[in-house]
Amino acid sequence: MEKKNVLVAMSGGVDSSVAAALLVEQGHNVIGVTMKTFCYSEADAQADGPTRSCCGLDGIMDARLVADRLGIAHYVFDVEREFTRDVIDDFVSEYAAGRTPNPCVRCNGNTKFRDLLRRGKMLGCEFIATGHYARMGTDEGGRPVLLRGMDEKKDQSYFLWALPPEMLPRLMFPLGELTKPEVREMARQLGLSTAEKPESMEICFVPTGDYAGFLGKRLGADHAALSPGALVTASGEVIGQHDGYARYTVGQRRGLGGGRSLPLYVIGTRPQTREVVVGTADELLRGDVAIGELNWLATPPSAGDAVRVQVRHRAPPVPARVEGVEDGLVRLAFDDPQRAITPGQSAVLFRGDVVLGGGRIAA
Amino acid sequence: MTDPVYLDHAATTPLRPQAREAMLDVLSRRWGNPSSVHRWGREARAALEDARARFAALIGAEPAEIVFTRGGTEADNLAVLGRARAVAGPLACSAIEHRAVLAAARAAGSDRLRIVPVDENGVVDADALAGVLREGTPALVSVMWASNEVGAVQPVEHVAGLCAEAGAAFHSDAVQALGKVPVRVDRVRVDLLSFSAHKLGGPRGAGVLFARRGTRLHPLLFGGGQERGLRPGTEDVASAVAFTVAAELAEAEREQAMARAAALRDRLEAGLCERIPGLRINAAATQRLPTISNLSVPGADPEMLLMALDLEGIAASSGSACSSGAVEPSHVLLAMGLPAELAGPSVRFSLGRDTTQQEIDRVLEIFPRVVERVRT
Repeated sequence: MEKKNVLVAMSGGVDSSVAAALLVEQGHNVIGVTMKTFCYSEADAQADGPTRSCCGLDGIMDARLVADRLGIAHYVFDVEREFTRDVIDDFVSEYAAGRTPNPCVRCNGNTKFRDLLRRGKMLGCEFIATGHYARMGTDEGGRPVLLRGMDEKKDQSYFLWALPPEMLPRLMFPLGELTKPEVREMARQLGLSTAEKPESMEICFVPTGDYAGFLGKRLGADHAALSPGALVTASGEVIGQHDGYARYTVGQRRGLGGGRSLPLYVIGTRPQTREVVVGTADELLRGDVAIGELNWLATPPSAGDAVRVQVRHRAPPVPARVEGVEDGLVRLAFDDPQRAITPGQSAVLFRGDVVLGGGRIAA
Repeated sequence: MTDPVYLDHAATTPLRPQAREAMLDVLSRRWGNPSSVHRWGREARAALEDARARFAALIGAEPAEIVFTRGGTEADNLAVLGRARAVAGPLACSAIEHRAVLAAARAAGSDRLRIVPVDENGVVDADALAGVLREGTPALVSVMWASNEVGAVQPVEHVAGLCAEAGAAFHSDAVQALGKVPVRVDRVRVDLLSFSAHKLGGPRGAGVLFARRGTRLHPLLFGGGQERGLRPGTEDVASAVAFTVAAELAEAEREQAMARAAALRDRLEAGLCERIPGLRINAAATQRLPTISNLSVPGADPEMLLMALDLEGIAASSGSACSSGAVEPSHVLLAMGLPAELAGPSVRFSLGRDTTQQEIDRVLEIFPRVVERVRT
């Protein structure tokens, strides 16, 4: 195989560690880099002690250990300013508007990959690689396409739909053919210090998972999104109080109280009136969805096309038909009604394993 | 890759063989505790006191004025914080002080710190200092002997005169200056002076604080009363001896080595200016350490400059790396009034006694190419 200069993003987690190791094993010239995305002291101040978040300072140290072990250079790229502007500010304003954002999508599309590519060029790297569970392939015309990862349970192509399409020819995903258990086993065999590191479940800049606390710091604790309001049914009946609509996301059960004949779920929020709308499991179902802020990684679908659409991380893609594409919006009708379609989340369109692109679910 | 080129001697230097020999000799033969009453203790004590006397002689001090510390940062901290705890009043520090001074001054209470500005060449503004002194006697004035970042040699005699007039204690961080310019406490009326071994071929983790007799100072550590109570803890005799050996060598070779470094540095700067449009030499219009060349490369990505150089096998540095390894703009260049677009993309080459003309010529060949690549 041809030896390439590859810049690999290393978070300090097991996945990107193994991705780097595989590239080295394949004989490439590999340079490791960790993105510094936010201020550590601020994140640490939220936690009771040192955090184990992937993006934290510990992540940088862990990535360095692995890079040393692999005998490759390792650097830190400071993208704090861009990350704050493009990811954190968006995260905050989306919650303030009553939606549920995907910061990882924003980061990949706006910050991480763009920066890797730009700086990679400066370091003479023609390829960039990450530890995402996704694959690169080619279509009938020989053009590069992004594919779902082989491990259905771990597939992360959902987070990659917003990448600039011109980047595709320069991407490598060394873990695309592997499963998570295989990756861990490789890490053990390679003696990587990150082999047993727990999965990071939280958003990197809110390592404690306390979104409301984070939002309170950014918006002010008395912001409407964090202030009390009414819990209402779709028919307008007030059934109780909530402590801020930003604490609720569509499909959520927690925090709604009990004592009802049927379990209740959040089915929507109304930021203007500070209401959180609740309903039964049936009311949570939607037959269609409109998505905006579109990005296409392959030929965009047109009205009438049959596609598969994934509306949430770890949800399986489900069959749907494109009803219309207009004014920057795509309207999709599901073959079967889907549960908890959440405004602000990503909807990603697939044809087979090919990621066509996606958008944000409109309110 | 061809042979790497190390031009980061202001960060650290390789241990000189004579210093290593001296260290090994102490570690293997005079390993006793200098505080012990027995023969082993006496032998270690003799080695330590011999080093102390020799170090004192090197800078024109008395042996009792030499405190061996575990590094330059510790010497700076002991001078600044130790003084701040002993005497009330503000701490007047030049804007280009090392973080070991500025952070220690802040630790004494942020309301005590007075920053004394520098001019566009990184030289402390003596008039501004005089103004600060008129406002009330500081507990300490701290102006480094020569800048670690741009090399600017400071008017320490003048500052010493101002301090003496005002009755203020004068501390100077001479970590970069020793062995490169004359540093004598019998010529300059300085009260406290910090030194570090590894900047001149000594081991890491060894430093000296010169504390002029009668200078009131509190210790930062408490224990067995070693180093006249100012730096308790069993002495690291091997490091103290090795530091002294390295310092003596550096001082003995100083004039010749500095003439050689100056010629190489001039060759580097002239060659780079010719090849890189817009290149700016920082602190060019003042006396600089001959070993330091600080350059601003407008339009270059600040972080990428060093990384791309590293990948080409050239070691340099810039600003100061924070704990994460990300590069922040230099507080020194900002204090010199450089706009962000010049303060950010800067690189410091620092030459050492082993630096060769071939190495300089390699940089002349590679650096312009790297700059081209990282210009945005």
